[in-house]
Amino acid sequence: MKKFLNSFAGFLPLGVLWLSPLLAGLLAVLYGALDGEAWLTLFEHPQLWPALFLSIGTGTLSLVISALLAFWIVAGLYGGRLWADCSSLVGGFLSLPHLAFAIGLGFMITPSGFVARVIGSLAGWAVPPQWVTTQDPYGLSLVSVLVLKEVPFLIWLISALLARPDISQTLKGHFRVSQSLGHGGASTWLRVFIPQILPRLKWPLLIVWFYGASVVDVALAIGPTQPPPLSIIIWSDLNNADPAFNARGTAGALFLTAALVALALAWIALKKIFLPSIWKFFTSGPSRRRTPTMTSGLLLLFFCAVYAMVFVILCVMSIGTLWPYPNLFPTEVRWTAWQQFAMSPAPLVNSLSLALASTLAALGLAVFWLETVPEKLDAALLVFAIMAIALPSLLIADGQYLAFLRFGLNGTWPGVFLAHLTQVFAYVFIVLKGPYRAFDPRYRAVSLGLNADNYRFLWVVKLAMLKPALAAAAAVGVGVSIAQYVPTQLIASGRLTTLPIEAVTLASGGSRPLMAVFALLLAVVPALAFLAAARFGRKSL
Amino acid sequence: MTLLLENISLTIGDVLLIKSFTITIEAGEIVTLMGPSGSGKSSLLAYIAGDLTHPMYGNGHVMLDGVDLIYVPAERRQVGRLFQDDLLFPHLTVGENLLFGVGRGSLKKRQYLVTEALASAQLDGLEDRMPDTLSNGQKSRVALFRALMAKPQAMLLDEPFSKLDAELRHTIRNYVFAHLRERNIPTLLVTHDREDAPAGGRIFRINSKGELLLA
Repeated sequence: MKKFLNSFAGFLPLGVLWLSPLLAGLLAVLYGALDGEAWLTLFEHPQLWPALFLSIGTGTLSLVISALLAFWIVAGLYGGRLWADCSSLVGGFLSLPHLAFAIGLGFMITPSGFVARVIGSLAGWAVPPQWVTTQDPYGLSLVSVLVLKEVPFLIWLISALLARPDISQTLKGHFRVSQSLGHGGASTWLRVFIPQILPRLKWPLLIVWFYGASVVDVALAIGPTQPPPLSIIIWSDLNNADPAFNARGTAGALFLTAALVALALAWIALKKIFLPSIWKFFTSGPSRRRTPTMTSGLLLLFFCAVYAMVFVILCVMSIGTLWPYPNLFPTEVRWTAWQQFAMSPAPLVNSLSLALASTLAALGLAVFWLETVPEKLDAALLVFAIMAIALPSLLIADGQYLAFLRFGLNGTWPGVFLAHLTQVFAYVFIVLKGPYRAFDPRYRAVSLGLNADNYRFLWVVKLAMLKPALAAAAAVGVGVSIAQYVPTQLIASGRLTTLPIEAVTLASGGSRPLMAVFALLLAVVPALAFLAAARFGRKSL
Repeated sequence: MTLLLENISLTIGDVLLIKSFTITIEAGEIVTLMGPSGSGKSSLLAYIAGDLTHPMYGNGHVMLDGVDLIYVPAERRQVGRLFQDDLLFPHLTVGENLLFGVGRGSLKKRQYLVTEALASAQLDGLEDRMPDTLSNGQKSRVALFRALMAKPQAMLLDEPFSKLDAELRHTIRNYVFAHLRERNIPTLLVTHDREDAPAGGRIFRINSKGELLLA
């Protein structure tokens, strides 16, 4: 009975602050989608099908290219001298939010952008070339941003997997066996490692795919417009003042989610049919091809160069008040945009307050759950956490908007906080669960034997020893909260402005230096959080 | 087939772990190497197989039928290996595991090779089973036949019997030795347990000074 009460107590705050808003959002969106008229108007939308194909196409293409490049880089560098550098570099790349990256990259590749200026200065171009780079009709610029952002994420995940002693030990053994059977490194990766790693990455790959196919902020900054991806059509409907458009947006969000889920199920079915034949092909005889070390190193260098350039360009852009084509550097440099921002720092203050509050709450809820609820219930919570991350943010945020209407939470700080917490807790729990559950229970016995009570053990021993994991989870939480665009825009209903909201607004035709300031702040806050986490975590050891 | 280990020595950083030695292993002979933990037995096998990694370094020649393997990449040496763990690839069936090191060929021929190997291993009908559904003894036999089907010119056994229970250990040990002798494969066996050494075979020990001495 006591055990049950403990578990219930562990569940209660989580149920109120996290699960209820998530489920209320999902139920509200399902209820909202009962409007038959909304579905009729959705299916009459002339751009529905091209936009859906574009969304699925860009999401799928970016996933496939990202996975190929990530495995290519890892296969070439794993175990080599560059591997440790590669793992720490991608961690740094991750702290740069998609939106900030898209804005910086946008300025690099636009016809009057930095790349065109460099080529133009060599070729003697007087006017910008007639290139269609950003907002191209096929969504290739959107795919580029997604690939450049997802590759480091996938490398980070793969390196975390390969760092696990059980996995690395097994793979090391498999590598030796494979070599002794006549297979080179490339063949071993293709036939032995990837088939074992891929199933462990199924959820992250699904999340990357759904994200790419339903992203809003990046698509608004750099994506195609005629037609736009379906997420943008839905987004514009949800932001329309007419309730009929809102209802069509809700139906659209559900339709996009259903299409993605249906495709995921179709893939699972097809995989079962085709995979055995694919493995048969892979086992058709040894190949002595070695791993592509050189190209992997060059690819990593390319990623470093792009990220460094994006950051430098954002810095220069933020102070370059006059930067005519084809000049490589601004002709006038002023701090005007920074001063403008300093005069109204509300977006930063709101972003920081939401990030800190949601991260602290998420950490508290996660620790409370992990302390009071038996491990066997983690799997159930994990399903909801993955749901919160994988389902398009459009769907959850729209549902929460509809649900919060009843409680008067829209347009309020607590409402936006709950919307942020939905995402932040999911990530924090996933990051924290492994190290927390792996904590050796014998330390408790030792502490109790040394006359420490449970609370002293928790604070002085357990949480102190878990500081690195707690710090990493907190940094991830801050990064996730800072980057929230869709839920903030919908739930805040224009009454609360944050960094991504300002950045997206400016990206659609505002002051370029000010846009760069917001993009930089979007990048710097999570980076500082990760740096602080690294320092805080290390200090405790 | 003869495996000649000529003037082989092993260092970790600047410290000499195994002093220079020369051994010839004749076709079908199984030579046993014993020594305390950390004496460099497994690293020696890695040097012979071609995958010794930093901070270990090896010197000397590994000659297989007169051909020096030192500059030959590991995957081209045709040196088979068995480890403590069976290391069957968990995502492939028994049949696919067996075919992993077999060169390209017609489906019919490959199918025949698998059936023949499974019959020799007394594992008939298991080709579509996944490794995790096999017993330890079955896994050991599949691992042996997987290595043999790749037609190795020499075999290196790195304590392959140490995780098996006493009864199974005896059976599998005799089974492995019989098949290696039947195929005339020169074999170097590393073990902690003298009982694992084949009766009448040569046994070398690494002493505390890193010298290889005939026991």
